[in-house]
Amino acid sequence: MKNRIKVERAEKNISQAELADQIGVSRQTINSIETGRYVPSTILALKMARVFDKRVEEIFQLEETD
Amino acid sequence: MKTQWLFPHRFRLIGWLILIPSVALGLAYMYAEFHFEFLTVSIAKGRGFLGSDLTINLTDEVAALGVIAGLLMIGFSKESIEDEMVSQMRLEALQWSIYVNYIVLAIAILFVHGERFFDVLIYNMFTMLIVFVIRFNMLLYKNSRVLAL
Repeated sequence: MKNRIKVERAEKNISQAELADQIGVSRQTINSIETGRYVPSTILALKMARVFDKRVEEIFQLEETD
Repeated sequence: MKTQWLFPHRFRLIGWLILIPSVALGLAYMYAEFHFEFLTVSIAKGRGFLGSDLTINLTDEVAALGVIAGLLMIGFSKESIEDEMVSQMRLEALQWSIYVNYIVLAIAILFVHGERFFDVLIYNMFTMLIVFVIRFNMLLYKNSRVLAL
């Protein structure tokens, strides 16, 4: 699964720490999701989408290997 | 996401404070025949040697229960920021510890015989939790290092 979190963060100008705070996870977790080492739960994905005011599919997309 | 069945974060420190003296007590009991006199209790009146009371000493019981309680508190306390990735790491560490525990036990079954196997059984009561705590903390440490790079 690939994601556009880093891009979305840049557009909204919020740091990993701020995003982490807003959705109630650690900064490490945001980092792991951004770099693709951790796949978030649906709840977390929806929370992120709400922060960025986008649909989940605009932030997370399936890859061929999924 | 709500994580259930965990102790509050402060229990991790309490766990260490219980574990360390309990391990010391347990090792002293096993290898130096140390025991606390005040933990000797009578379990049957007049059934012991020459009509004395039959007694047992509870030093090893206290040590074993302390080790178990300490390890459980350390392994199953909430992290300061407890989120779903932490719970996944905890479960991964748990799975890992079950594998390691039984591989080590299988090797011990093959190579340790007779009375010495009793020692294996004593240690085996705790190895799963010990390996779990070590593995879980390794994963947390590795995870915290990622940001520093």
